[in-house]
Amino acid sequence: MKIKIKKEKLVMSITIGIACFALMLVMFMQFNMVKQTDITGIETMRESELRLELSSWNEKYNELNTIYQETVGKSEEYKNERESYEKTYELLSKELEQLNKALGKTDVEGEGIVIQLTDKAGTQLSEDVKVKRITEEDLLIIVNQLFAAGAEAISINGHRVISTTSIFSIGEEFLKVNGERIVEPYVINAIGNPDYLKSTVSGKGGHVDALKELGHETSVDINKNIKIEKYEKELHTKYID
Amino acid sequence: MNKKKISLILGLMCLLLTYGIAVQIKTIGGTGSVMSTNAEENQLRDAVLKAKEKYDNLYAELENMEKKLEEERTNATQNNTELTNLENAIKENNKLLGLTDVTGNGIIVTINDNQDIPLSNWFGDPNLLIVHDTDLMNVVNELKNAGAEAISINDQRIVTTSAIECDGNIIKVNGEKIGVPFVIKAIGLPESLISVDRFGGYLDYLKEDRFLKVDVQRADKEKITIPKYTGIMKFEYAEND
Repeated sequence: MKIKIKKEKLVMSITIGIACFALMLVMFMQFNMVKQTDITGIETMRESELRLELSSWNEKYNELNTIYQETVGKSEEYKNERESYEKTYELLSKELEQLNKALGKTDVEGEGIVIQLTDKAGTQLSEDVKVKRITEEDLLIIVNQLFAAGAEAISINGHRVISTTSIFSIGEEFLKVNGERIVEPYVINAIGNPDYLKSTVSGKGGHVDALKELGHETSVDINKNIKIEKYEKELHTKYID
Repeated sequence: MNKKKISLILGLMCLLLTYGIAVQIKTIGGTGSVMSTNAEENQLRDAVLKAKEKYDNLYAELENMEKKLEEERTNATQNNTELTNLENAIKENNKLLGLTDVTGNGIIVTINDNQDIPLSNWFGDPNLLIVHDTDLMNVVNELKNAGAEAISINDQRIVTTSAIECDGNIIKVNGEKIGVPFVIKAIGLPESLISVDRFGGYLDYLKEDRFLKVDVQRADKEKITIPKYTGIMKFEYAEND
């Protein structure tokens, strides 16, 4: 009798032991998985997202490859032409011109859009609601949306937007771009894919659309040939080592 | 005695299991999606990882090639002042454009969500307690206005075409996802840059009205390093006039 009970107990303990062990194992597996589940990572992506991600990486690869080939080409040219002053001068000038273009130090033209914003501040919307003025933040958001949509060059009332451009409001009176005063109507020129640019700013969530809803007069026009002037001031680094 | 021991162990195990389950439910609830073990998705996931790796490898090769190009350029221009001047102009432009790592004095601004105020005690809009894309835009704009020559947010270099986008709960800079805390580094004259921390400035608004966690550090003696832009600069629409 005594031995029987012991046997039963033993079986029971072993069963519970195995069950516990199995549970622990499953738990650890899951913990591991949870650890790997990066909310922003590809582990949680669905099929359609994954396809998009894949094609975007392939596209980026091709673009990078073009740049790589160009760099190889340039390097070879410098090596081969180093005896010739004229050729080297030409190579350097060509490189400098490309960089100047990217910096905004050259006039550029191409297809894109023209946004016009007429500030209707003060217009009575109802008895006690007036239209608020267009602020620097509105322009910042529009410029940001344009760059997000792939804009290659932007100007505000003729002032080229470059890497150090800030937009500031001086009191309630006027705005400053690149340190120069501008007054409304605000005209923003942007070169890039016109359809992307237009739908980004005037579609749902677009900030030009938002300003229109708030009571301002806005227009967005596609133009085949937009000219954007260069940044006129000197550009140099003073505090970068 | 023995029974008590067993009960205690079982109880402890139950507690552990419950805890484990609770953690998991929370995590899965947080991601808002269930892990998929679909074979096709796994295949796609592998393909994405491979494409990313391929890109990274090419990027590393490009970096080597850029170094080589620089060497060849220096070789080709040495012993000639005019050519060396052009070479220096190229280097300066690369700094301005964000195509090289840069160091210098400046300031570091850190902004974080406020997670200390329990939402049950907060009667305002909960969105006010988290950092938004427009907040970063405004801070970057103020830094530019204060004369910053190079800026990065979580090591993403701000270049002319950088966009700060909101993608659901995630903020993207240069198309790359970044999260809190947002560390904004700026190189420039520290005395001037520190003015962004003034009364009535945007950081003041974030601290006083939005209760966000803002920290501003001056780097007068020690140097700040801002990494280069790792994206691709290209022109498809804009042509030199």
